[in-house]
Amino acid sequence: MTDSTLDRVARATPPRVARRIRGLSDRAIAWIFVAPTIILLLAVNIFPLIWTIYLSFTNYRANRPNAEVEWVGLRNYQRILSDPEIWQTMQATAHFLFWTLFFQVLIGFALAWLINQKFRGNNLWTTIIVLPMMLSPAVVGNFWTFLYQPQIGIFNNIISFFSGADPTSFSMIGDVRLAPWSIVIVDTWMWTPFVMLICLAGLRSIPDSIYEAAECDRASKWRQFWTITVPMVLPFLMLAVLFRGIENFKMFDLVVQLTGGGPGSTTELTSINLKREAFEKWRTGYASAYAVILFVTVFGLASIYVKALNRVKNR
Amino acid sequence: MAEVRLSNVSKSFGTTHAVSEMDMTIAHGEFLVLLGPTGAGKTTTLRLIAGLEAPDMGDIRIDGRSVTRETPAQRDVAMVFQQYSLYPHMTVRENLAFPLRSPILRTPEEEVRRKVQQVAETLQIAHKLDNKATALSGGEMQRVSIGRALVRDPAIYLMDEPLSSLDAKLRSDLRVELKRIQAELGATLLYVTHDQIEAMTMATRIGVLDQGRLVQIGTPREIYENPVSLYVAGRLGQPRINVLPAGVFPGAPLGADRIALRPEHIRIGAGQPARVVRVEHLGDQTRLHLTLGDHALTTLADPHTPLETGDVLSIEPANALYFDATGARIV
Repeated sequence: MTDSTLDRVARATPPRVARRIRGLSDRAIAWIFVAPTIILLLAVNIFPLIWTIYLSFTNYRANRPNAEVEWVGLRNYQRILSDPEIWQTMQATAHFLFWTLFFQVLIGFALAWLINQKFRGNNLWTTIIVLPMMLSPAVVGNFWTFLYQPQIGIFNNIISFFSGADPTSFSMIGDVRLAPWSIVIVDTWMWTPFVMLICLAGLRSIPDSIYEAAECDRASKWRQFWTITVPMVLPFLMLAVLFRGIENFKMFDLVVQLTGGGPGSTTELTSINLKREAFEKWRTGYASAYAVILFVTVFGLASIYVKALNRVKNR
Repeated sequence: MAEVRLSNVSKSFGTTHAVSEMDMTIAHGEFLVLLGPTGAGKTTTLRLIAGLEAPDMGDIRIDGRSVTRETPAQRDVAMVFQQYSLYPHMTVRENLAFPLRSPILRTPEEEVRRKVQQVAETLQIAHKLDNKATALSGGEMQRVSIGRALVRDPAIYLMDEPLSSLDAKLRSDLRVELKRIQAELGATLLYVTHDQIEAMTMATRIGVLDQGRLVQIGTPREIYENPVSLYVAGRLGQPRINVLPAGVFPGAPLGADRIALRPEHIRIGAGQPARVVRVEHLGDQTRLHLTLGDHALTTLADPHTPLETGDVLSIEPANALYFDATGARIV
C-alpha cells in the first residue's frame, strides 16, 4: 500500500506537537496564525485611534500629565469648527491639494504618454524623470529654498530670463501671493514622476493589437486616444490621484523645510497647524479633536473616491 | 468589395524573410485561404494588406489603386485578429458599433443600431449585446470580433486564424456560418489558417505558403490532387500522405526520388506484401496502419473490414505522385 501525503506528514510530526495540535479546531489554528497581526494592529493603530477620540472630549495637556483631566464634551469640536484660522489652513490645504493633483495628473500623464512612444533611450529618460521622487522630502524642501533665492536662485533667474522681470523683484517664499504656489511647484516637481510611473503602467497594459484593431476600424489617432487610451488608463490615473491626495493631505516635511508655513500662515497646511497645536501649544485634547475631524474628512472622501474608482474599473 | 493584388511584395524582420517576392491576386468576391505552418508568413501577408506593416518592396493594390503608402483606415479593410482584440472597457454593442461610428463613415445612429442588431443575430450573440466584452466566453469573444468586421462593408475582410481558439463544435458551426455569410455578401475575404479542414471546406482558392513564399495557389481540389511539391502535398490530407522511396513500387518515372500516396490511393489486393500493424475503426471508415518492408504507411479500408493486426495483404499504388530529390513534382 502506498503512503498518502497525509500519512507521511503525520509520521514526520513529533508526537508531542501532534497531540497538542490535534486538540485544536481549525478555527482555533486559524486564530493562532492571525493573532500576532491583530494584536499588533490593535496596539499601534486601533488603540491610539480610540484613545485620541477619548482625549478629544477632554482638556488633557500632555505637558501637564499630573493635572486633573476634565471632560469637556463637544467643546473642542465647536471651537475648531468656528475658528477662522483653522478654516484658513483648510483653505491653504485645499489650494495645495487641488493644484498639485491638477498639475501632477496633467504633466504626469503627458510624460507617460511621451515615454510610451517607442523611441531610442526612453528607458534612460524614465530613470532621469524619476530621480526627484527618490530624494528625501526634507532635502528637496531645503535645496528648493536655494533655488527660490531672489539673488542667486536659478528659479528666479529662469523666470526673469523668459519674462524680462528683475530676478530680485520677487520672492517665491517670501511673498504672500506667491508662497502657496511655491509649495505647489516643488511638490509637483517631486511627485509628478510617481503619477507618470502609474500612468505608464496603465499605458503599457494596453496591448498594441487593440490599437491595430482600432486602426482597421478606421479610428483616427484622436479618437483612439479618447475612446481607448483615456478610458483604459483612467483606473490607474484615479489610483494615482488617490495615493497623491492622501499623501498631500498630510503633507508636512517638504513644506516645513521650504516655507515653515509662512509667510504668516499662508502655507500653513492642516498637518503643520495640527503639529503646532499638539506639540508647541500642547493643547492635546483640542489637537485630538482636530485630528479626529481630519481623519473623518480624509476617510469619508477616500471612501467616496474608492467607490467611484471601483465603478470605473467595473465599467 | 474589391480585387486585391500583391506584386513582388517582400517583408523582412531583421534577417528573417517573412514574405518573399509574393505575387498574388485575390479576385472580387473570392474566399482565399492562405495555408501554411507557423512562421510561413501568413499573418505578415495579412498585416501587409491591412497596412499594419509596410512592405520593404513591392506594391499592393486594392481595386487597381496602389495602397502601399496608405494607412489601414484609408485602405478600408476589416480585420479579425487571432487574439480577439476587443475593446475591453466597452460592451458588446459598443464594440460592434465602434467601426460604424468612425467619422469617415458618419453612419446615422439608427443605422448603427439596426446593423449591430442584425450582425449580433447572425452570430447568435444578440442576448449578450449589453455584456461587457470581457465577460464573455472565448467563443463569444471571437464572434464579437468577427461581428465587428461584418458590420462594415469594407474592400476586403482579413481574418487571422479566427477559429483557432474555439472548441471543435463551435469551430465547425462557425465555419459553415462564415462561408454562408461570405457567399451572401459576395465579400472578398482573405483567411489565414494552418487548419487544412478550414482551408478545404471554405476556400474558393487556397494559397500554400512556405517560408514566406507562395508555392502554389489553386482550388482546394487542384492543390489536393496536383500539388507542385512534396511540401504542398503534405499540407493537405488526413491521414497524411504516405511518402516512400520511389523504388518501393515498380514503374517509377526517370528522376523520381520519392513516391507519395494518399491513403485512398493505395489499392488492396495485388502488388507488394504489407503487414497490418494496427486497425483503427472510426465508424465511417477504417484506417489500416501497415508496414511495407521498413516503411510505415496508412491506408483506408471498408468500415466493416475483417482485417486484423498481423494480417498480410498485397498493396499497389493508384494515382501515385512522384517527386525528385528536391521535392519538386515529376509529372
